Amino acid sequence: MPTADLERTPPWSWREASTRLAFLTGLWLLLTGADAGSWVIGGPAVLLATLLSLRLRSPVAWRWRPAGLLRFVPYFLWHSLRGGLDVTRRALHPRLPIAPALVYHTLRLPPGPSRVFLANTINLLPGTLSAELQDSRLTVHMLDAALVNVMELQRLETRVADLFAVSLE
Amino acid sequence: MIDLLVLALMLAGALFMLVAALGIVRMPDVFMRMSCNAKSVIIGLTLLLLAFTLHFREIGVGSRAVATIAFIALTVPVASHRIGRSAYLRGVKLWDGTIRDELGEALEAARKNGENDADR
Repeated sequence: MPTADLERTPPWSWREASTRLAFLTGLWLLLTGADAGSWVIGGPAVLLATLLSLRLRSPVAWRWRPAGLLRFVPYFLWHSLRGGLDVTRRALHPRLPIAPALVYHTLRLPPGPSRVFLANTINLLPGTLSAELQDSRLTVHMLDAALVNVMELQRLETRVADLFAVSLE
Repeated sequence: MIDLLVLALMLAGALFMLVAALGIVRMPDVFMRMSCNAKSVIIGLTLLLLAFTLHFREIGVGSRAVATIAFIALTVPVASHRIGRSAYLRGVKLWDGTIRDELGEALEAARKNGENDADR
């Protein structure tokens, strides 16, 4: 999927591996409260997770823009709360107000992690679930295929582009 | 005061968990069940874990709660996407009231193209 003009991630280095190892070790310490006995499971788990994370690294280089992150987090929290309230209303309503559809959305984001991030994020926003992501075509399942929900998807895309510091096509 | 807040958070969290369960029962197809579930489970669990954090007020409990929320927020969307997608691709039917199925149309078109290619 990544095209030639995209910045490729350089091959992994020992430095990167040790950063990941340190992070995952810290996470294990946090979760187990530094219990010495837990390392029987924790040691192999941390090692395997480090290897797996190096293997599953994105082939395309990416970063988050700190200012974009500051703008994205409140937006995301607010809209996931709205998403939760929206399904609550639908699930509790006696007549079950739904008008579902599987709809194609042509992505304006460039190929790479920002597309995957968008596909996952929409699962937490009101009434949408990503069904299939293939190249620039994202199929979205909508609980209510109204135009306003399609427009919301476009707004989310703009936010994700801002977060990843990429431009929309 | 804190106790009241803990109580309110636990009640709200439990309500969202109930909605997740209700969604599984009431929603008529896999995509809708996953859609309903993903959103309410994350909010429900976040509220419950916030309640625990406020109740215990220990750094160990708080940090584990935050890590758990992060893991859930990372994994639930991926899982619900994969479950919905694989159910669809394996031929699990959409609800009759579904207005449009543009994924089905595209897969059908791709299949026809494939057949034409094979003829040549």
